[in-house]
Amino acid sequence: MTQTIARQTAHDAAAATEAGRQWFETDPLWFKRAVFYEIHIRGFADGNDDGSGDFRGLAEKLDYLQWLGIDCVWLLPMYPSPLRDGGYDISDFFSIHPDYGTIDDFRTFVDAAHARGIRVVADLVINHTSSDHPWFQESRSDRRSPKRDWYVWSDTDDRYRDARIIFLDTEVSNWTWDPVAGQYYWHRFFSHQPDLNYDNPEVQQAMLDVLRFWLDLGLDGFRLDAVPYLFEREGTSCENLPETHAYLKRIRAEIDAAYPDRVLLAEANQWPSDVVHYFGDGDECHMAFQFPVMPRLFLAIRREDANPVVDIIEQTPPIPDGAQWGLFLRNHDELTLEMVSEEERDYMWSQYATDPRMKLNLGIRRRLAPLLDNGRDEIELMTAILFSLPGSPVLYYGDEIGMGDNIYLGDRDGVRTPMQWTGDRNGGFSRADFARLYLPPLMDPVYGYQAVNVEAQLRTPTSLLRWVHRFVALRQAHPVFSLGTYEPLRPENARVLAHVRRYEDEVALCVHNLSRSAQPVELDLSRFAGMVPEELFGETLFPRIGELPYLLTFGPRGFYWFRLRGDV
Amino acid sequence: MTAAFREERLVEYVRDQRWFGARSSELTGASLVDQAVLRERPPLLDALVELRYGSGAHDLYQLILDGAGADVPGASEAGPEVVRLVRAAARVPTADGEAAFEPFGDGLTGLPLERSRPLGAEQSNSSVVVDESALVKVYRRIEAGENPELETSRFLALHGFESMPALHGWWSYAGAPLAATLGIVQEFLPDGADGWTLALDELAARPGAFLERVPRLGEVVGAMHAALASDGGDPAFAAEEVTGESLALAAASMDDEIASVFLHLPDDEAVAPIAGHGEAVRDLLRDLTAIGSLARRIRNHGDLHLGQVLWARGDWLVIDFEGEPARSLPERRNKHSPLRDVAGMLRSFAYAAQVTGAPRDAEERARTAFLESYTTAVQGTGLLASPEVTERLLRLFELEKAVYELRYELSHRPDWVPVPVAGIVRLLEEAS
Repeated sequence: MTQTIARQTAHDAAAATEAGRQWFETDPLWFKRAVFYEIHIRGFADGNDDGSGDFRGLAEKLDYLQWLGIDCVWLLPMYPSPLRDGGYDISDFFSIHPDYGTIDDFRTFVDAAHARGIRVVADLVINHTSSDHPWFQESRSDRRSPKRDWYVWSDTDDRYRDARIIFLDTEVSNWTWDPVAGQYYWHRFFSHQPDLNYDNPEVQQAMLDVLRFWLDLGLDGFRLDAVPYLFEREGTSCENLPETHAYLKRIRAEIDAAYPDRVLLAEANQWPSDVVHYFGDGDECHMAFQFPVMPRLFLAIRREDANPVVDIIEQTPPIPDGAQWGLFLRNHDELTLEMVSEEERDYMWSQYATDPRMKLNLGIRRRLAPLLDNGRDEIELMTAILFSLPGSPVLYYGDEIGMGDNIYLGDRDGVRTPMQWTGDRNGGFSRADFARLYLPPLMDPVYGYQAVNVEAQLRTPTSLLRWVHRFVALRQAHPVFSLGTYEPLRPENARVLAHVRRYEDEVALCVHNLSRSAQPVELDLSRFAGMVPEELFGETLFPRIGELPYLLTFGPRGFYWFRLRGDV
Repeated sequence: MTAAFREERLVEYVRDQRWFGARSSELTGASLVDQAVLRERPPLLDALVELRYGSGAHDLYQLILDGAGADVPGASEAGPEVVRLVRAAARVPTADGEAAFEPFGDGLTGLPLERSRPLGAEQSNSSVVVDESALVKVYRRIEAGENPELETSRFLALHGFESMPALHGWWSYAGAPLAATLGIVQEFLPDGADGWTLALDELAARPGAFLERVPRLGEVVGAMHAALASDGGDPAFAAEEVTGESLALAAASMDDEIASVFLHLPDDEAVAPIAGHGEAVRDLLRDLTAIGSLARRIRNHGDLHLGQVLWARGDWLVIDFEGEPARSLPERRNKHSPLRDVAGMLRSFAYAAQVTGAPRDAEERARTAFLESYTTAVQGTGLLASPEVTERLLRLFELEKAVYELRYELSHRPDWVPVPVAGIVRLLEEAS
């Protein structure tokens, strides 16, 4: 009898997984309320002591992520790759990079994350593959190869001249001559990343198979990397083409039909008026990154001027009901300055990239804490602003403890160094020999693992980590920050960024002093006359709002988050 | 056979049910996901119904419907039918899958299936008493996966733990939408008295009578933990070592919780004994967590207190292994230190003593007796580390519970605030 029962149980469990339904599917709009946490698997935790982070190590850190309070992990590329572009050069879409483990390890991790109420989305590059990918090898080998038409080939390198070159520092053209193929191939990024030819229905089908493969394994969605560039058309910039949107609609229809609560997150580094098209009419991506806000936050705090932030949000068109912006301060790439004016870019470079090594392409390759001169008040202020704006915030691993960067490492490796868990050897990241580590951990006296690590900050109630933990919990306790409307206040003192968020009966007022000096501000809150602001952290009641301008004073880089209460 | 599904009527009906957990959400619609026929004539259907909320979220609930598509109050008619089907190990095909009825042991043999009545007074489920000897528990909110109550009580039964109502069977659904446990059938104990009621009756009036029962209670809880930790080959139950990091994470959470509760302490006489002592409590926490390890963690009861044990057949039985129904199913299956269950019971003694105004030493004697027999019962299982670590951990979990109680009572039952306050004072005194 025992054996029958054991078999039956195993059968039930397998059926539940195969059916693909899990506890969280009770809320298809979960991503609108989520705090995301971006992880570079290689740099997070090493479970097998080979010097490189992996899924086993990641699974061991789920208790930490659950404690931190995040809702969804976003994984950088995890697929087999020659790693000439941090894994964004995929050479097999149906497997896991051997450094990170196996498909089984992946599945174990996803199940364990789900058991803790944490979802998992992963990067997927659908625009191109690595030149090592068998599809490309087959394609280049012969003009009559069935895969020939899977990539974009040309006898000349003068087609699609209106398409800009993105990786200015390394690439001179979007075409590269392939002596094996005897033709040029098209690539919007590195020359070792040939673009797939989405005009070919087989390619469209193949990529849908890739999506289904991972969704069937339990993945909760994808961040679609480099999504504007799928199609090419003569006489256009080859970005944001109608054909690209049509294909995204096809992907979305597939997801809605078979995987109703999974999410597509578009990476489209474009102006808001272009990015909103990636939401379609609620029938393309569920989320898209709000890229242009990010450099303006850094601009605003340095210039002590709220206008850049208020202006860019004002220029952002409304989005469909079931859609959400993704907001971030820093990520695994350089702080990109493509979406600011030339004058603003020069200003940003002069302020934030004092050493030429800090520049990369049109951006700055530094982490949050060093960008803000390791100022605790500045980090808290920027995080507060990020959490108060409309959208779902994304935290970048290590920024919650104020990790630094290493500008002497190449490309973007400087912001991808090992997570600093303890003050022990290798920062507790790995027990491998130091020389085997994929990158050296930071060891300088300010940002090194002996000064900055999870273990020490957990023990210290006033640490940045403990503050971030409380702040995530505070935001989650008030749905108004994830779901509410946004109304800027534009006070006369432009050093103060103030806005009102509203959702159902809840009204939140967020006021931030961008200045390094103390500031007063007078806010016109007459439409809330009679209500009482309650500061959310300490639940302290402030004076009742009247018809006259409401006066608040701030210490340097200070901020208040209020709930406006009508019941006291 | 398809019953008329009356969405509007069901929505109205569900909204008023005790077991409907999402009362604060706006219920906007209902649709039938799948259904199994429990009885042909007159029709009785076991239905999985999706309830939709204004926020876009949705839940799955189990409803027992009659031929007119109306819910059968308290699911009472389903009781005998479920027993019949379980006894027959029936498989009932549905549109998208099947409902499987599984007997466990032969406890249902010979039941006449003549009488059934709703048990009543339940929060999140509906139970039906059949022939005053079997209890059919219908789970209401359905989540994918096996219910921890079934999983735990079956595991305990197979591992020689008998101090619980006997498990007679269960039924579950597997199909395209999901696979999930729908309910269980277990022994009904008509003459059982729950520990909380017993304590209220006896602790002040006849403290000796209650204290005599306590050593056996410790023994039973110890035997339960020993059984839960006894199978290293079953990953769902195998005991796990606890890392230093998870202790640090737990400590950080508790520290924030203490700081927050003390920050908002009202200006009230009931909290005067601890007012201004927030930092001392945080110091105590720091001291209690400086132990390096939480020893081992196992699946435990999850919500153990005097209300979850039954005095019946002249012995204690542990009931209700469902965990806290408000938490998600995977969360309820998490492993914890068994001392959290123990701390739950100790806090329950404190409540009972305070409520009844029992003699000063009654609580103390109950604690001592319970811990002694518990410790003996788990000896040799490796569940407890050294006596020093055990004592610290117990105080740590008692502190955690007392702080949680303090927050709860302050906002829900101000009259009960003195109970957790006394608990915190006691822990502070022991430390100094």
